Amino acid sequence: MLKWIVISQSLLLFGTGLVFPFYIIFLSEVGGNFSEFGIAYGIFTISSALVHHWVGRRSDKVGRKSFLLINTWGSALIYLTFPIITSIGQVYIIQVLLGILGAMQKTSEKAIVADFTDGESRGKKIGSYHFWVSLFSGFAVIVGGFLIDLLTVDIIFYFGSIILFVSGWFILFINESRDVN
Amino acid sequence: MNWLKQNYNLKLISLLAIVVYGAAFALSIYINQTEDKLLIHDVSRLFPDRVYEIVEGEEEAALVEAVKAAKENNLKISIGGARHSQGGHAFYQDSVFLDMSNYNKILKLDEKEKTIKVQSGVTWEQIQDYINPHGLAIKVMQSSNVFTVGGSLSSNVHGRDPQYGPLIETVKSFRLLKADGNVINVSRNENEELFELVIGGYGLFGVILDVTLELTDNEIYVSQTEKINYKDYPEYIIKQIANNDDVGLHFARLAATPDDLLNDMYMTTYRTIDKGDDRYPTNEDDYEELVELNEEQNVLRDKFFFGLSRKYDWAKNLVWDLQQKLYAEKEEGEVVSRNNAMRPPIEFLEYDSDKDTDILQEYFIPVDHFEEFVDGLRKIVKEDDLNLMNVTVRYTPKHNEGYLTYAKEDTLALVLLFNHELSDEGIAHMKLSTQKIVNQALELNGRYYLTYQLFPSQDQIRKAYPKIESFFKRKLEYDPNERFMNNFYERYAK
Ligand SMILES: Cc1cc2nc3c(=O)[nH]c(=O)nc-3n(C[C@H](O)[C@H](O)[C@H](O)COP(=O)(O)OP(=O)(O)OC[C@H]3O[C@@H](n4cnc5c(N)ncnc54)[C@H](O)[C@@H]3O)c2cc1C
Repeated sequence: MLKWIVISQSLLLFGTGLVFPFYIIFLSEVGGNFSEFGIAYGIFTISSALVHHWVGRRSDKVGRKSFLLINTWGSALIYLTFPIITSIGQVYIIQVLLGILGAMQKTSEKAIVADFTDGESRGKKIGSYHFWVSLFSGFAVIVGGFLIDLLTVDIIFYFGSIILFVSGWFILFINESRDVN
Repeated sequence: MNWLKQNYNLKLISLLAIVVYGAAFALSIYINQTEDKLLIHDVSRLFPDRVYEIVEGEEEAALVEAVKAAKENNLKISIGGARHSQGGHAFYQDSVFLDMSNYNKILKLDEKEKTIKVQSGVTWEQIQDYINPHGLAIKVMQSSNVFTVGGSLSSNVHGRDPQYGPLIETVKSFRLLKADGNVINVSRNENEELFELVIGGYGLFGVILDVTLELTDNEIYVSQTEKINYKDYPEYIIKQIANNDDVGLHFARLAATPDDLLNDMYMTTYRTIDKGDDRYPTNEDDYEELVELNEEQNVLRDKFFFGLSRKYDWAKNLVWDLQQKLYAEKEEGEVVSRNNAMRPPIEFLEYDSDKDTDILQEYFIPVDHFEEFVDGLRKIVKEDDLNLMNVTVRYTPKHNEGYLTYAKEDTLALVLLFNHELSDEGIAHMKLSTQKIVNQALELNGRYYLTYQLFPSQDQIRKAYPKIESFFKRKLEYDPNERFMNNFYERYAK
């Protein structure tokens, strides 16, 4: 059923939306300059690129669910390191990990949504899927901004992490055996 | 069978996830809290310094040892209490930092004499908790109770009781650990010069070890909040508050809202009531309930609203209006014990954004010049577009004891809470504006409080405190190697 995918991925993007845009501002306080930002984002994308192939192939065999779960819980753990980062070197390492996890999520998400939809109504369902997921993420960014202004950036990181951790449980509900549907 | 196995796996995964995540979460918080311990800053987080070493002396011997070791290794020493001073008074780069907060035992309460002897890392809150059951209360302390006795002595603080000047009036004696490692008694009869130098001496003459303080009765007050035109306030103070025995505590607030900036004024007075009064609790149970110590409530709520008014003018207006309504409704005739009135909420003020900060300043203005000062201040706040968040006013009577006295005549003390950006420009802007406000105070024969930022110029500190030069000279006599060091001394003594 698409339901658990929608819920878990919406929640995931809510958690990420809370944290990610502000992670960048936070980095500038760790003392990065623009070239270092460039490197950090390059590393993220390149490390993603390197594992996309592999993730796609493996997920055909072992299923998408475990990759989604690894991404979600893995990111929840990584967010816990944000409040204690002190150097740009640590940022690079984290970007590599986030890149790998991001690839797992992107490829598996697309594949699983495809698995669960078919022929005629596929576009409609995917449209609706993205509607919910984007809505949550947009909302999260706004909420995140306000919360940081009023509380502290560390609280957002912890909050985002907890949301991600929770969203992992919804992934567990996804039943991948297609014949059930 | 298959289902059972799956179910089992699910449980295992869940359990594992919770354990791993829980542990990681705890670890992250732990590291976050303890990280970079050697980087010492005050509550405003302006100008932190990395110290050489932190000594948390629980025992006197450890403190003596630390002072002697610093002397041998030719290291500077800085001393910190609750670190609420805001000009780096409590720390210094590459120094041995004595964190006094664990040197915090209550040594002796003398109920008959109404005195208490405490180690200097004790906070007012600890003392209140300890003496409240004995029906006793503190004579002079700040408007809240989070500070240490040592830090308070070193700033010679003052509070809301208009019968008293600064803390020094209520200190009987203390012991001092000097730069040479020796410990001496200091009081009005013994080493009396140091009595006035150390109290208000910002830790520059040695480590205050234990202190004997005078206490008073935990009286029952009834509070009253009234509106007043700020121009009438000086007269009101002289006639109704100063030397008026039944006034226990008194303070006022000036609006910091854009609409009524430094115009609207409310004052709250706590007057003593005796057993005969019909508002006095009639039975033992009511009395017990009344004197039981309050804990701060609604921290998160207040933090949120305060956060809003930090950012938005509409929120400032809203909060001010709400506050006044609440005061008018609730505090009108509220019966409260002295101890409870002397522990107002403060936690909600804690703020640690990475881009801006809340700072305090205080100006002591001769009562007669209050109106002029307020008018001048309003102009500066508007012209310089300062984010003024809160203004309280207290009466501080003239006092002579203490080397660096701040009230040479009867004064009204204005406490200003500003929010400003932590960027270099933000700090430079605040510094410039501060110097303007200080000038305004000096012109009116007033002073500023030394315990906050080091923004005032060399010239200004010398005008405000003409004895500062000889204060620094005495410092060199007692501590020729400048063993005890802090940012305040470094900024102004050279
Ligand atoms: C929110 C807030 C409200 C305040 N309200 C008031 C008020 O109502 N009235 C008022 O007068 N002040 C007020 N202050 C200022 C405050 O009282 C002083 O800054 C005071 O010194 C803080 O005490 P502390 O324990 O934090 O000392 P710290 O800031 O840690 O230290 C202050 C000074 O004392 C020295 N010191 C500390 N312990 C010892 C020791 N054992 N021996 C020798 N030296 C020592 C330090 O080296 C430093 O120079 C307020 C400050 C804040 C932030």
